[in-house]
Amino acid sequence: MEYALRMCAITKHFPRVIANDKVDLTLRKGEILALVGENGAGKSTLMNILYGLHTPDSGEIYIHGKKMNYQTTLGAIEQGVGMVHQHFMLIPRLSIVENVVLGNEPGSALRFHRARAKKEVSPFLEQFKLEVSLDTPVQDLSMGMQQKVEIIKVLYRKANILILDEPTAVLTPQEIDELGVILASLKKQGMSIIIITHKLQEVIDFSDRITVMRRGVHIGTVETAGTDVNEIVGMMVGRNVNLGQYDIKGVPDKDVLLSVKDLSYRAGERFILKDINLEVHKGEILGIAGIDGSGQDELTEIINGTIKPTQGEILFADNNVTHRNPLQRRRSGMGFIPQDRLKHGLVSDFSIEENLTLGFERKREYNRKGFINKKNRKALAKAAIARFDIRTTGEEVLAGTLSGGNQQKVIVAREMGARPRIIVANQPTRGVDIGAIAFIHQTLIGLRNEGGGVLLASLELDELMSLSDRIAVMYKGRLMGTLAGRDATREKLGYMMVGRMNDNVHNGENLQTEKGARHEKE
Amino acid sequence: MKKNRFAAVLSPICMLLFSFLLAGLLILALGKSPLVAYGALFQGAFGSSTAWINTINKAVPICLAAFAVGICSKVGVFNIGVEGQLLFGALGSALAGIYITGLPAFLHIPLCISAGMLSGALWALIPTVLYIKRDANIIVSNILFNLVAKLVLIALVLGPFRGDNAMVPGTNRIQETAALPILVGGSAKLSSAVLLMLGVAILLYIYLNHTTNGFELRAVGLNHHAASYAGIPSKKYVFFALLAGGMLAGMIGAMEVQGTYLMLYNDFSPGYGFDGIPIALLAQGNPLVSIVGGLLFGGLRSGSQFMQIAVGVDKEIITVIQGLLVICIAAEPIFRRGINLAGRWLDRRIVAWKQ
Ligand SMILES: Nc1ncnc2c1ncn2[C@@H]1O[C@H](COP(=O)(O)OP(=O)(O)OP(=O)(O)O)[C@@H](O)[C@H]1O
Ligand SMILES: [Mg+2]
Repeated sequence: MEYALRMCAITKHFPRVIANDKVDLTLRKGEILALVGENGAGKSTLMNILYGLHTPDSGEIYIHGKKMNYQTTLGAIEQGVGMVHQHFMLIPRLSIVENVVLGNEPGSALRFHRARAKKEVSPFLEQFKLEVSLDTPVQDLSMGMQQKVEIIKVLYRKANILILDEPTAVLTPQEIDELGVILASLKKQGMSIIIITHKLQEVIDFSDRITVMRRGVHIGTVETAGTDVNEIVGMMVGRNVNLGQYDIKGVPDKDVLLSVKDLSYRAGERFILKDINLEVHKGEILGIAGIDGSGQDELTEIINGTIKPTQGEILFADNNVTHRNPLQRRRSGMGFIPQDRLKHGLVSDFSIEENLTLGFERKREYNRKGFINKKNRKALAKAAIARFDIRTTGEEVLAGTLSGGNQQKVIVAREMGARPRIIVANQPTRGVDIGAIAFIHQTLIGLRNEGGGVLLASLELDELMSLSDRIAVMYKGRLMGTLAGRDATREKLGYMMVGRMNDNVHNGENLQTEKGARHEKE
Repeated sequence: MKKNRFAAVLSPICMLLFSFLLAGLLILALGKSPLVAYGALFQGAFGSSTAWINTINKAVPICLAAFAVGICSKVGVFNIGVEGQLLFGALGSALAGIYITGLPAFLHIPLCISAGMLSGALWALIPTVLYIKRDANIIVSNILFNLVAKLVLIALVLGPFRGDNAMVPGTNRIQETAALPILVGGSAKLSSAVLLMLGVAILLYIYLNHTTNGFELRAVGLNHHAASYAGIPSKKYVFFALLAGGMLAGMIGAMEVQGTYLMLYNDFSPGYGFDGIPIALLAQGNPLVSIVGGLLFGGLRSGSQFMQIAVGVDKEIITVIQGLLVICIAAEPIFRRGINLAGRWLDRRIVAWKQ
């Protein structure tokens, strides 16, 4: 058997944790290997070692049979290793072509040969069906497009081992399918690919073999053809978990908790949101479906109060909160789980303990006459870490060093800890492992069952369909219509998400009557 | 955790040693012995009680400048405007000290200090407002404001406020009642400014680390997106921190006028405002750590005189040392990496040795 890559007995300590403990990993030439494991299992760490970002404490790396001893990413790139990170590392203001060639610019040290760069990069754009100009700044691209740019960047450097750290976490179902096609074609070209993901269906669909890690240890590697989801889950968590078995009780109340009226938001001349009307009832989970960039992010930010709508109103528990600031909104019982946890959700250089109070630092538990009540804060942080199963060695650990899923749990713990009446969540399970997904889902359902409301924007249709009482679909900043959760199918939602109306679908205006009727029936 | 903190302490020390080493080579090139020169420098800075007093008096403005830079760095803004702000602070304090008469000392002193702090804050106000409202580059506007402040001060001190003694390019003396009490008299006088500075340091430390406001301020500096999302008024904190920086800078001027010169010269500050920058950066805005840096820089300033007289090495060599230090700070990742690599090498040695 020819191996493109062998990692032998890799060990890596971080202060107080062993992220990798004598981990072995092999990658055959021209195969796709899925690397799976719970949050904090050490997957990213292992891949960062391979990519030269971390130096292992001990262990060896062989690429095409040759022993490696590079210490930097530059060394790794020279050996044909390329990596697309969990958190994209593009420079937002630079254009596509600039981002791709950055660090490998054609031309001399003094002169950047832009024309040549463009000529070299443009074939990739065609191959990846990216229908935008090479000069588009990366900040104007959707997440899916940005990811393609990341992959192109790696290919441009002539990688033959490609690492993808949670590439699908931010993609829409369609984009995920496209990625599958891309990976298959790369594989045919002889690339060896390692893909980290928490979505087990993808693992089964994409991969040839699966390597499972748990708490820093290599648990086993299996051929995909001879296994199933249950076996993988068992290996990952070491016990059985119930997936998709949720205890959704009762029907939503008639009372409206949150309503969005005639909301529009314009950036310059362009409408990002137009005439949105939504209602979340007590005891209801309202799902928001839509392909990435349909306006979900702006909608949740307007409800949060960080951006001001151009037009329209937000009513919460019969109060007009349109002109209240985020703080006042939170105080009155709204909770928020933002889509970009590192940008909006956390202060990475604050400890877990500090992050657990962020935005709530003035509450009585944490604040004594203007001073931080550190003793109380510590005790509450310890309790939250236990209750929400945040995998860490202590409450004073910096949030930035947590694994992605555990960062998300910190946010959920903080928002739920304030006992909100409504949670506005935008992709709350992005990059979170199956156990934690189940936990977050349970938490949201718990709030719903107790009569709270949930507004759940997500790119994952399965998530929306298994949780929502109703699903509203957005397309290009408009509301295409709303489906009852039990009527929703992937097909119907998929149609509406790309802007095609469906006969069975009711639009914003007659939503009211439709729902009224539904309540009466029940 | 422990290892990181170790590196955090070690890397400034390495930077200092490195700067002294390079400057030492320069001294060698000038045909003098670096060891003798540094010996004299140390002697002049910490060798006697007089030396200590001089060092402390020099350290007071430098420490305050580090606080002024530090609080702004806590909200993520680089405050290079301290120099201009402290000149205005001195002006405010001097005017209140000269022209207000008939007050008892216990009122007049705090009044003059407040006048100084207020003037410093006022001078910081325009760049701050431009920055917050119009997103104007605050580094550029502060540099310009430093220049303008210097010129305005010259015009005022040599013009309308010129003192009666034609020999001195400065104002009249401030009233007795505005002068800070002397703690230790003699050939070198220790003014009570040092106590005020220590008080400020402690208050600032408590504010940043133990109050809810301080927590919010730090959150804004570390990630203003997340802070705003959580409902913390980011802009208000930036505004507040920049004005607080101006006030602290203004206090430097007041301390110099009321504690050291008892009048206002046009160029009383040898660039204290700039000395604060590397210290604040090294101390990462921590006021207590800044005091150590302030003492060091104060020592350099006060010892250099003695070194020049005793050994004949030009006192400007300390500017070289400070400049090197700034370069080192800019190259800090390299130092940190070097330390980590060295640490790993040591670890391996120790393991090998144990086996
Ligand atoms: N730079 C760091 N400093 C300290 N600890 C770290 C650092 N990076 C990772 N860790 C710790 O190492 C462990 C493994 O983290 P890693 O990011 O590799 O997990 P992961 O398997 O990628 O998880 P996820 O699926 O959530 O991304 C975690 O406990 C994490 O807190
Ligand atoms: Mg990871």
